[in-house]
Amino acid sequence: MAQKFDVVVVGAGPGGYVAAIRCAQLGLSTAVIEREYLGGVCLNVGCIPSKALITAGHFFDKLQHSAPEMGIRLPKGEATIDMAQMQKWKTSVCDRMSGGVEQLLKGNSVAILRGEATFKTAHELNVKSSGGMETVTAKNFIIATGSRPIEIPGFAFDEKFVLSSTGALALSELPKKLVVIGGGYIGLELGSMYAHLGVEVTVVEAGPGVLQGAADPECVQVVARKLKKTGVETLLDAKAKGWKKSGSGVEVTVDVKGKEQTLKADKVIVTVGRKPNSDQANLKGIGLQIDERGFIKTNSQRRTSHSHIFAIGDIACQPMLAHKASHEGVLVAEVIAGKNRAFDAKTVPAVIFVDPEIAAAGMTEDEAKSAGYSELKVGKFPFAANGRAVSLMEAEGFVKIVADAKTDVVLGVHIVGPDASNMISEAALAIEMGARLQDLALTIHPHPTLGETMMEAAEAALGHAIHIIQKPLNQRKEGPSLRANA
Amino acid sequence: MATKNVQLPEIGEGVTEGELVNWLVKVGDKIEPDQAIAELMTDKATVEVPSPIGGVVKELKFKEGDVITVGSVVIVVDADGAAAAAPAPTPAKSAAHTPAPQPAPAAFAKPAPALTPKPAATTVATTVAMSGGTDVYPPPASSRVLATPATRRLAREMGVDVNSMNGTGMAGRVTREDVLGARGAGAVSGGPATYQAPSIPRPGFVGQGGAMEERVQLKGIRKKIAENLQMAKHIIPHFTLMDEANVTALVAMREELKAAGEKAGVKVTYMPFVFKALIATVREFPMFNASIDDAANEIVYKKYFNVGFAADTPNGLLVPVVKNADQKSILQVAKEITELATKARDGKLALDEMKNATFTVTNIGSVGGTYATPVINHPEVAIFGMYKIQDKPVLKDGKIEFTKTMNFTVTADHRLIDGAVAARFLKAFIHRIENPGVLMLDMM
Repeated sequence: MAQKFDVVVVGAGPGGYVAAIRCAQLGLSTAVIEREYLGGVCLNVGCIPSKALITAGHFFDKLQHSAPEMGIRLPKGEATIDMAQMQKWKTSVCDRMSGGVEQLLKGNSVAILRGEATFKTAHELNVKSSGGMETVTAKNFIIATGSRPIEIPGFAFDEKFVLSSTGALALSELPKKLVVIGGGYIGLELGSMYAHLGVEVTVVEAGPGVLQGAADPECVQVVARKLKKTGVETLLDAKAKGWKKSGSGVEVTVDVKGKEQTLKADKVIVTVGRKPNSDQANLKGIGLQIDERGFIKTNSQRRTSHSHIFAIGDIACQPMLAHKASHEGVLVAEVIAGKNRAFDAKTVPAVIFVDPEIAAAGMTEDEAKSAGYSELKVGKFPFAANGRAVSLMEAEGFVKIVADAKTDVVLGVHIVGPDASNMISEAALAIEMGARLQDLALTIHPHPTLGETMMEAAEAALGHAIHIIQKPLNQRKEGPSLRANA
Repeated sequence: MATKNVQLPEIGEGVTEGELVNWLVKVGDKIEPDQAIAELMTDKATVEVPSPIGGVVKELKFKEGDVITVGSVVIVVDADGAAAAAPAPTPAKSAAHTPAPQPAPAAFAKPAPALTPKPAATTVATTVAMSGGTDVYPPPASSRVLATPATRRLAREMGVDVNSMNGTGMAGRVTREDVLGARGAGAVSGGPATYQAPSIPRPGFVGQGGAMEERVQLKGIRKKIAENLQMAKHIIPHFTLMDEANVTALVAMREELKAAGEKAGVKVTYMPFVFKALIATVREFPMFNASIDDAANEIVYKKYFNVGFAADTPNGLLVPVVKNADQKSILQVAKEITELATKARDGKLALDEMKNATFTVTNIGSVGGTYATPVINHPEVAIFGMYKIQDKPVLKDGKIEFTKTMNFTVTADHRLIDGAVAARFLKAFIHRIENPGVLMLDMM
């Protein structure tokens, strides 16, 4: 006997579990099928564990570099690392979050089916688990099966010597030397985390720069400088050719601008991106349309070519970010419940947990120009002029605001600096609300906080920030007045 | 260098040419695919002409004022410039670790290459090009639309396309009120908004001030009346037709029945007769018992007859409703009218007793005036006026005869009801009211 539901969600990651809970809240009988961990990559081998380790790395780095200057002395000299304890703590963080998801699903009466789901037909799923095979049917399906790390030729993941991000987050011993292939955000987050823990890190990047296209170029410059300062070596225009075992470690062959080079390390981490899991679960077999990059084709309601099947998260489209998946999860649940919804967010904010953090919402200057905004107002405010940042001993970086010069409407905000990740939500709200520079500038921001930089950057774009020197107001051409209805 | 000719696309059914009003680009400009390049005036509307391809504008083929025929080359574009202007989509590998801070649909969305009728759209909506998927209406808000997330959602739920709205807020912001107004004014679901509500001006009044003027807050029933009438006048193109009926026979009949009514404790006025004559006529002309669902772009014909009547009360105009008046006798209708009117005067009407009228009768004649042009009680499409009975000399067969006459008006929603139809309706109604015996034929 097949179990019947109104909605079956395949995958319990940040897209799937959120969709399932909202479906249940809307009174739909709902099941979620998960083959590995509740909370998906994000809570178990992605966002959350990496943030735990990054926090540890940051803390360790501060102990070593900031504490002595602040007058804090460690009793026996240097700080040391107990990697086993660090992993234990990291796992406890993940377990707690994953356990929370389980409680939420149960509390909302969502059926949790453990096993590997495969579409038998467009209306039936086979769920294979250690307990055997069962068939599940539903009026609607939500595919939220996510993505996985991309492998490159010659570097098959063995998670011993060649690590994916998953393996790189689960090392029980601290290596001395690491090679990271791929200078994107995952590679740099892992690389700088290990560098903070005292590991010698070399990043191999095929392109001419790190974080290419991932963030505002000026923000990237700040991070690139800091990487150098932290001791992370970056090889640009470098292609990883292959590897072999060498002693207890590895020897990686790299082609740097046509010259071959050998890098010795304990392990090599490969982080060249992620690809959608659209080759699984017989998605093609039931006739779902999949584009050349592996995303399931959907419309603005995330409805696939089968009108009763939806796809959300990494498997549906870029950007592959957990918060976008969750937003889509809620959206699709409400569409299934008969509400008129479409994905019309103006911005999916993005955060890169490198050192210092980068966070962005909306358009960069280049993007705004190619979107047809011919005249821009750009305001930048450095953390070096912010009291809180200086007192945190984290005064690198800046806030940059890009606005349409005609209307002063905020188009984009780019932050590189301390706690950029926590500051960007204000920018996202401003963009969604269609705020103008004056709205940010006239909102009283509490002192002394990092958030003041947002207000000051808006003031800077208007030409009159207080805490940096700008040309006197009466010597400049006046922009639109506060009441202009442009 | 790949130069490409951009031709004038089809601009609309039956439109073969247009006059170039002005260029929106100049030589050397970088343009995006589907960017508007020129404004063209046709005999139907002024439209923006988009270029299907992006690139750098090399040549403008016409001068402002020229007449351009469909299919002729309008501009020449260097398409290589497009590659420089807009980088090719990032390949999967690098894109996969790119947390691009941009709206996600951009991943495979492309702007709809639509010709944009002039006042309607300020931007081109981003729709997801996907074969096999169902199109979503309204299309998702373009990232250029200034509307808060909550307003965007309200618009979607009301079937209003925010992309096609001219916001009245600062910097062109689409406000909650704009959306509510667009719905009330006839934005339709399932298609583009056909009518935009201009914002209603709210001018202040500066008088001489002082003791010679008294200011009272506009509130309560008066405020509601103001809003309802404003909306009705705003949405409905009204017209009124007037005629006179010889009601000598009706007066005689009513005199007869009045006494019978009194025995039953019911005051029989002329109104129930008018109700009955109207219902019988409306059955022949169902468009008078209809509503326009602007949101759905549909006409709703009602198979039930709830008759509202205007009641003058100390608080202002109220419209109580006699429900299912077609299924009630003249005596029952008369009784109900009296009860409802009393409740209205005493301010005791339940909300439900003022709801769901299918058309309304106003008996302004009981107060005075020979004719009026009443305002339709939206979403109804007609209101009928009855006026005072007068003795009039009428020339008949060469002799002067004294008759009882009564004036009637029909005020209708011209969107649904043509003038001739209203005239035929009024004629049929007057035939019934002049010959009240005929009403027997319609009795059920």
